[in-house]
Amino acid sequence: MRAHRTALLAAVIALAAAGCSSSSNSSSTGSTNTSTAASSSAPAGTSSASTSATGTSACGTKPGVAATGTPIALGAIATNQPGTSFTDIPNMANAYFACVNANGGINGHPIKLYIETEQTNPGQIAADAKQLVQTDHVVGIIGNTSIIECSIDSSYWQKLGYYIIDSGIAPECYSTPNSAAVNMGPRYSSDGAVQYALSQHVSKVVFDQSNVPGTGYIGAGPAALAKAANVPIVQLTENVPITDANSVAIKEVDDAGPNGAVVLNFTPPEALIILQAAQKLGLENRVKLWGCSTPCNTDFLAQSLGPKWNNKLFVNAELTPPDGTSTTTMNLYKAILSQYGKAVQGGIGSFSQMGFTEAEIAVHALETITGDYTVASVNAAFKAVSNFDTGMLCQLWTYGSYPLHIPNNEDYTVTPNNGQMTTAQGCTPISSVDPQIAQYRSAAGTAAAAPAS
Amino acid sequence: MPPWSDFEPFIVSGLALGGVYALSGVGLVVLYRATGVLYLAFGAVGAMGALVAWSLINKAGTPGWVGWLACIAVAAALTFGYGLIFGPALARRDPLVKAVATIGLTLILYGAMDLLWTTSGGQARSLALPTDNGGFAIAQIQVTWTQVIALAAGVVITVATGMFLRYTKLGTAMRAMANDREITATLGVPVRKVEAAAWLGCGVLAGIAGLLLADLVALDATTLTFLVISSLAAVLIARLRSIAVTFAAAIVVGLLHDLLTPVTSLTNYRDMTPFVLAAAALLVMPRRRVMTQSREEA
Repeated sequence: MRAHRTALLAAVIALAAAGCSSSSNSSSTGSTNTSTAASSSAPAGTSSASTSATGTSACGTKPGVAATGTPIALGAIATNQPGTSFTDIPNMANAYFACVNANGGINGHPIKLYIETEQTNPGQIAADAKQLVQTDHVVGIIGNTSIIECSIDSSYWQKLGYYIIDSGIAPECYSTPNSAAVNMGPRYSSDGAVQYALSQHVSKVVFDQSNVPGTGYIGAGPAALAKAANVPIVQLTENVPITDANSVAIKEVDDAGPNGAVVLNFTPPEALIILQAAQKLGLENRVKLWGCSTPCNTDFLAQSLGPKWNNKLFVNAELTPPDGTSTTTMNLYKAILSQYGKAVQGGIGSFSQMGFTEAEIAVHALETITGDYTVASVNAAFKAVSNFDTGMLCQLWTYGSYPLHIPNNEDYTVTPNNGQMTTAQGCTPISSVDPQIAQYRSAAGTAAAAPAS
Repeated sequence: MPPWSDFEPFIVSGLALGGVYALSGVGLVVLYRATGVLYLAFGAVGAMGALVAWSLINKAGTPGWVGWLACIAVAAALTFGYGLIFGPALARRDPLVKAVATIGLTLILYGAMDLLWTTSGGQARSLALPTDNGGFAIAQIQVTWTQVIALAAGVVITVATGMFLRYTKLGTAMRAMANDREITATLGVPVRKVEAAAWLGCGVLAGIAGLLLADLVALDATTLTFLVISSLAAVLIARLRSIAVTFAAAIVVGLLHDLLTPVTSLTNYRDMTPFVLAAAALLVMPRRRVMTQSREEA
């Protein structure tokens, strides 16, 4: 009996531990965009709009000549924990750099990217930053994608004069002078999804997201948009991982009503759970439309959902949709991914597109440096990037000296179509009704559209 | 308080959720009663089986039934292998040690799944069964045959296991061994074989549960691995003893959980339902009763 009581105690401990841990997982990192934009002022041959196939040699200035000079050390920090991994982004940046290194490098210098991973531990993240600076002696940070890294390290980077090129999630990735992202992040991506729903004249919006730190910040954007459109909005949060998707889906649909919209902001697996539950319960047509922020923009999701969601689910997309796009930049991206991207587990998709875009911006900046590659010169070059056509975004991308940075603030909307995400709406500016977007445009102006391919 | 009509759909979804908890909970109690091990890797081995099935069906192109059988086979093999290798060594250890050892297996499997079926790059998977395509409607909510099967499977497993443990020679040997392995061995019971049978049976249950839960909840390593924690509430309410009480408790937990969903002031706290009910049960159920039960069973 003593043994039985001990087993009972073990069960209680396990239960208590689970209760204490509450919700985990992440929100989104989002990014997937679509654009018909081509690249332009690209540095190492990534520019111009052409539909011809592109070999990887186009990534460098000296095709076939390996760079042998002193390496230029760059660093990245990415979340990598069970259920949430953003390592595809720095890994794709690294693939781009490998291509550049094999084709002349930066004036003969290869780029070495040090990638640190973290598990949403503030102490570990701060240590990673110090490791990169003090041990690896990196002269620039590019490829950061972390749930909380911006919040933890922002002041550290500012103090040392680093200007980060990243994929943002936390508010500080967008609201500080030293971070400029290529993606919109969860807030502005959710803005885009809600904005599309409002444009379809829905009578009510239900916005549901993961119950993780920052939900208030993310929800503020959709709330402002709905208020301006005089449409009621219901904000919900769900603990993740979701184990009761049926009740989540029923509540969303009940709250939205037949002429309403349900907009989700979850990672792809969690969004898929909700959408599949809705489908099994026969709820997909009980609202006017379903929306989702960028993380839903994956072919994995489109394939898993099936045709019932064609033109029923509308997903914000922050980068040019790779399916069916054959610009020089897109072909180069696919070629580099194929030849150098063995470590990019997700393959073609928004995460690897973000890594590619960050790397091409960094290479473009590094090629403008004429002297030594120091912290001062590299970060000055990063900061000086202006009106750069990435070939992956709706707009030209600018860093600049601004108190906040939201350089990607135009989106696409895509919808599932027989296993692929296809464009439902072209480049559309995120509304300045979101006060953060208004503040950025007030400071930086409205970026020009990228040239059409 | 919302009108009653608002609650009706959640009765349907609550029963489905209760069925999900019951599938895991019953499996946990079965193995505990047979071996004295609180098998916390129950969810992880089921998840591993389901992911293997997904790979076979979606990557190797095998027919669905091959994948489903593989799911059960993988879960059974993992559990059987664990029991075969670690069971004898842990047999004389404290139940707490035995339970913690299964957490080790859980973490190893969880890490392996995260490595082999990564979610990096926005990868999401699903495992749909043909029974998802048919069903009937209750309170404007579609009920799939898979949900009906899951609930029925819980009932069948509960009844069948209860009868097996009570009326068969092997079942009696399992119960005796769970109480005192040494005395059972001295009575001439082949304890190794009995334990092996218990582990194998539990593995098969984990595989069946994994297959159904991958369809009903999600084909996601994290979700399936830790779903067992919510099921522990039902197991605790049943004091790790009664399979029937575990089943009933799981249904109550699922129902109550979902019925809180439309209540605005409580909806964000509904995930606490299993834990609150378990704590309440432990506090309310008189300690003396447990002791009495224990003596009777001893």
